[in-house]
Amino acid sequence: MTTTVTPYRSRLHPGRTGFAHLLRAEWTKFWTVRAWPLVLAVAVVITVLISQLGASGSTAGGGPEVTLGPDGTVVTDAFRFTHRPLTGDGSVTVRVTGLRSADGRSLEPWAKAGVIVKQNLDQGSPYAAVLATPGHGVRMQWNFTHDTAGGTGDLTTAPRWLRLTRTGDRLTGYESADGRGWSKIGTVGLAGLPRTVEAGLFLATPAHLVVHRAFGGTSERYGGGLVTGTYDHLGLKGTSAGARWTSTDVGGAAPNGPAPENGPPGSTQVSAAGAYTLTGRGDIAPDENGPDTVQMSFQGVFVGLLFLVALGALFVTGEYKRGLIRTTFTATPARVKVLAAKTTVIAVLTFAAGLLATALGFTLAQSRLRDNGFRPPEFPDLSLLDSPALRAVAGSAALLSLVAVLALALGVVLRNSAGAIATVVVLVVLPQILSFAFPLPAAQWLLRVTPAAAFAIQQGKTYYPQVAHNCLPESGCYPLAPWNGLAVLAGYAAAALLLAAWRLRRRDA
Amino acid sequence: MRWLHAEWTKLRTLPSTWWLLTATVVLTVAVAAAATSSLTSAVCASPAACHEDTVQLSLTGVRLSQAVCLVLGALSMGAEYGTGTIRTTLMAMPTRWRALAAKATALSLVTAAAGAVGILLSLATARLILPANGFEAPSLTDAPTLRAATGSVLVLTLVALLGLALATLLRDTAGALTLGLGVLYVVPLLAHLVASPVWQHRLERWAPMPAALSVQATRDLDRLPIGPWPGLGVLAAYAGVLCVGGAVALGTRDA
Repeated sequence: MTTTVTPYRSRLHPGRTGFAHLLRAEWTKFWTVRAWPLVLAVAVVITVLISQLGASGSTAGGGPEVTLGPDGTVVTDAFRFTHRPLTGDGSVTVRVTGLRSADGRSLEPWAKAGVIVKQNLDQGSPYAAVLATPGHGVRMQWNFTHDTAGGTGDLTTAPRWLRLTRTGDRLTGYESADGRGWSKIGTVGLAGLPRTVEAGLFLATPAHLVVHRAFGGTSERYGGGLVTGTYDHLGLKGTSAGARWTSTDVGGAAPNGPAPENGPPGSTQVSAAGAYTLTGRGDIAPDENGPDTVQMSFQGVFVGLLFLVALGALFVTGEYKRGLIRTTFTATPARVKVLAAKTTVIAVLTFAAGLLATALGFTLAQSRLRDNGFRPPEFPDLSLLDSPALRAVAGSAALLSLVAVLALALGVVLRNSAGAIATVVVLVVLPQILSFAFPLPAAQWLLRVTPAAAFAIQQGKTYYPQVAHNCLPESGCYPLAPWNGLAVLAGYAAAALLLAAWRLRRRDA
Repeated sequence: MRWLHAEWTKLRTLPSTWWLLTATVVLTVAVAAAATSSLTSAVCASPAACHEDTVQLSLTGVRLSQAVCLVLGALSMGAEYGTGTIRTTLMAMPTRWRALAAKATALSLVTAAAGAVGILLSLATARLILPANGFEAPSLTDAPTLRAATGSVLVLTLVALLGLALATLLRDTAGALTLGLGVLYVVPLLAHLVASPVWQHRLERWAPMPAALSVQATRDLDRLPIGPWPGLGVLAAYAGVLCVGGAVALGTRDA
């Protein structure tokens, strides 16, 4: 036997429950409780102040001179170079027969041996190179930030033929296993390349990076790194003013090595049969060790979000506490609509306040950072209307708004401000604190799956795949890409809203 | 004694108390299990070369469960203001500071009991998990470990008292929690992000959470920003001063 229970429906004529009216009702509720606009204003002021304070605690300068690449990126450009000038079109070919460590430690996966065409011998000048690596196969790289993958052969087991051809200002990279059948890796245009360039073979290896991580303390150590590469069948086609191959240590000593390992310069030996043995250090790559001046301008967000979490939670739990929620639901029996209206009002208000706070905080913090030595050319001026600054400012505002929405939704689920506030703060802030303390894999996992991932939106640094780096939470690195990180928080907020809608429909008020 | 009994009855008969105490134990142990099982020697050459403070790792759960204790403390007073019971309470116990003292005593006792259970279970979990990965298991017969465990229980108790004091001062649960969570979590987070080493050091010494949690360290003690017991003293000072402030405010203001 089944019985059907007809749900209760009020016989009263429904009031004006258009969504616009609901929005207006919630909007009025917000502005007429004196404390709430006040909390919103305090959140903005505190965010700006703390951002300023954070920025004024940071100073730059006193470090070694930096090298800038053709597009203004800070780069490392130091390597052993055996070269001849090349005038007009031509090509350089070599067979790389081996690469081994010369300092008794294991080879870095991104150690590089190959051919290069470079504007001149100055650090940071434009270049294109075809190179073989122990861990990442054959690559074609140019102007530091660009990288194209070629074949996957392992240099330590089989020799590779590499060729770089210049036609005008276009450079084409080729590779071959036997020196007869060549396959093209890619063609790049280096605008403004002069008629005479330096072409030849090169050797480089990134410094060894040893991370020592224990509770409350992390130390990163760079060890010089020294490699030996062997080459033969070196050939240069085209017009050259120099008849002999000369060798140079571009950039002098290794940039990151501690003093004792800076010592010996690179060396080049040529056998009677034409086999070249180069020993050298350094790297040709973007330098990712500098501070992130974008991220440094948003420290106030951590404090500002506390206020917005409280606001989001109280906007609904306040109604439960005073029993106003029953009046609200009597006036508008469509409860999910009420939830939607509340969410919209809170989301819009916190986003607007957040945007004001982050835009103002960022601008002021940037000028403070500039006073403290973070100046061009190493730290170029960032425009608020360009990425990454625009993304970080708007993204931080979205983060603040989403956090408030998450608190509101949890407030509906828990009907209790204490639980909602504590849960959201713990979810958003605690993972970051734990990530400083946990072993690295666990720390990175935490920053992927918790709402704390959203802080990735504040990152201004680009992490290039052709540079090995440890994503250390204590140096401000988040493992997810900026927008993916924000999407994690949005996912939490959406899930909480769904749960809230379900609970609202199923439970009494 | 009768006052203590009254406060104990109030605390005991709130369902939220039991939920929060259970959460304290469960979260402490769950984080301990997660933290210790995440410790592998994959990132370093051998377990000894990892230089991990396994005791501190086993007690990481305190970083999460202290939030629960803060809620418990804030609710024990904030709920009275929220519902107006405070007026009845103060009518029954006209010496207001004694009412607060009774509340603080009852709260400390239950938090310390739940904290002790959580910490002991965490260490037991660590003893099960750590040796499987080749790491040394923490043992309570070891003096630093005993100090870390006792200190952790005290941290949880003091944080609950901090919540009670803030709620008494602000007469509001939400405000007390926001402020408390900010002091506990956001200040140390800023300490990590501030680039100036001087300020970083100052914040690590004088912010309640990083200072108090130095009581959990069992190795590299000379590298701590503040010693284990003085660190716990910093948190005790915060809680104590705020409790006295709360008692004064309670005595001089209307309810």
